[in-house]
Amino acid sequence: MVCRRYTNKAAEPWPENATLYQPLKEDQILLSDCASSLAVQAYLRMCGLPVQVFCRANAEYMSPSGKIPFIHVGNQVVSELGPIVQFTKAKGHSLSDGLDDVQRAEMKAYMELVNNMLLTAELYIQWCDDSTATEISRPRYSSPYSWPLNKILAYQKQWEVRRKMNAIGWGGKTLEQVYEDVSQCCQALSQRLGTQSYFFNKQPTELDALVFGHLFTILTTRLTSTELAERVKSYSNLLSFCRRIEQTYFEDKSS
Amino acid sequence: MAAPDELFCWEGDWGLPSVSTDCLVVLAYAQFAGAPLKLRKISNPWRSPSGSLPALRTNQKETLSRPSDIIIHLRKQKFNADYDLSAKEGADSLAFISLMEEKLMPALIYAFWIEPKNYVDVTRRWYAEHMPFPLNFFLPGRMQRQQLEKLRLLRGDERLEAGEELEKELYRDAAECMNLLSQRLGSHKFFFGDSPSSLDAYVFGHLAPILKCKLPNGKLQQHLKTLDNLTNFCTNILQLYFPKDGRESFSQKTSPHSEGGDFDHVPNKRRKQFLSALVALGAMLSYALLTGMVSIQHAHHEALEEPPDLQDIGSHHDHEDEGDG
Repeated sequence: MVCRRYTNKAAEPWPENATLYQPLKEDQILLSDCASSLAVQAYLRMCGLPVQVFCRANAEYMSPSGKIPFIHVGNQVVSELGPIVQFTKAKGHSLSDGLDDVQRAEMKAYMELVNNMLLTAELYIQWCDDSTATEISRPRYSSPYSWPLNKILAYQKQWEVRRKMNAIGWGGKTLEQVYEDVSQCCQALSQRLGTQSYFFNKQPTELDALVFGHLFTILTTRLTSTELAERVKSYSNLLSFCRRIEQTYFEDKSS
Repeated sequence: MAAPDELFCWEGDWGLPSVSTDCLVVLAYAQFAGAPLKLRKISNPWRSPSGSLPALRTNQKETLSRPSDIIIHLRKQKFNADYDLSAKEGADSLAFISLMEEKLMPALIYAFWIEPKNYVDVTRRWYAEHMPFPLNFFLPGRMQRQQLEKLRLLRGDERLEAGEELEKELYRDAAECMNLLSQRLGSHKFFFGDSPSSLDAYVFGHLAPILKCKLPNGKLQQHLKTLDNLTNFCTNILQLYFPKDGRESFSQKTSPHSEGGDFDHVPNKRRKQFLSALVALGAMLSYALLTGMVSIQHAHHEALEEPPDLQDIGSHHDHEDEGDG
């Protein structure tokens, strides 16, 4: 949540060479990081701000807060969606200006819902579920490094995430309960979306970017079991929502 | 009818039924849903079946600790305060509860446990006064370390320490959260319609301690008091659903005001100190009597005898001299 203070206001326009850093796409990046990165990319595309995506093995260490992704704009480095939204707002680009107070409160609340339930569930499945951790997360996370560093880093990250899960009360949950929470979260999002194109009015907001980032990644990532993707797929309006955003904003990206 | 479930929770103070946010959430929901629970208000977490508070012991001897689990259990037993909510309102509930957990709870942890003045003057003192001997010596400190670690893990910063910048950031997020809640509540009595739901329980549980507890560093309380609808919301729920605890606050309010509270404690403390000093002195005396004192008396006895010895030797010498001479 660290964001360097900017000395001058929105005077500088968005530079052409803005870059976004994330871990290596093919071998290293994990579900939760990929979701966060995609959310930021979607948000920037919705604002019409061009950004180049660079994949670096040590992106997590380069980031000022230790979280992925982070963007390098001009001479400033900002990480995570929340601070990036504030940063672009200071530069005069915002998607949520047209909302009234109650809608803005709802938007912030639903963004926290996604962070609190979906992101935490993704972290749980990645690191606290033994089969996923052993087969996917640990090998991928430390793939750029050689023995014994890869073992040390992987176990360190796993231990750190497990401690966090215990602190927030998710340590005692079973995998079934976590899937239930994901279902509940998706149901809430599906209810809120209803039959609209986007969550608020006809224009997308940062909430749409965040939801898209997470749901699209869940649907397109292969895990040890397809249970997570199945739970999301049971809500058809969320599926069409993801497809719509992909076609509108990521059309040039060849999948 | 099966026996009611037992709920173990922290004692109350400052006009609240309980001092802990999680306990308040569960108590409020149980009142809203009309769930008959056997309340056990204790101040010793070791006496709870799960080792922490709140804890619900069900009829099947199962123990639940998380407020969300307890609420789900009560719902399954047909005590559902969210029955009248539409699907969208249910979704909004979930979203606003997440908002509070992410933005308001860290500030609450900081204000009560991490901020040095608040912790020493209010939190630690309360827990140390209410916990039984000998837990009051080490348990508050251990709870504080747990809360600090929880805050560190929530923020993802292992080297987090109490400080002005952290406080500013946390309180800013909390103020924004309270503003958002206030905007959502508007001029309604409860968040959804005329009857309270689980969201009202969560909001009450988080805001009531801020409103009622007088902390030395009370920036959160100052901000909350500027939001009239939230203040009225909390006092309304206290009056309607917890009238007994509200009345207790009056008798408690008078004692600190006249500072009689402090002086009332002092004689008790003095008596306890005197008694413990007496016991210690008695123990030392009896030990000395059984082992040392006796030998001291002996030495005293011998000391009394020694001068006669010297005299004897002297007289003996004289006799010898006389004998020789």
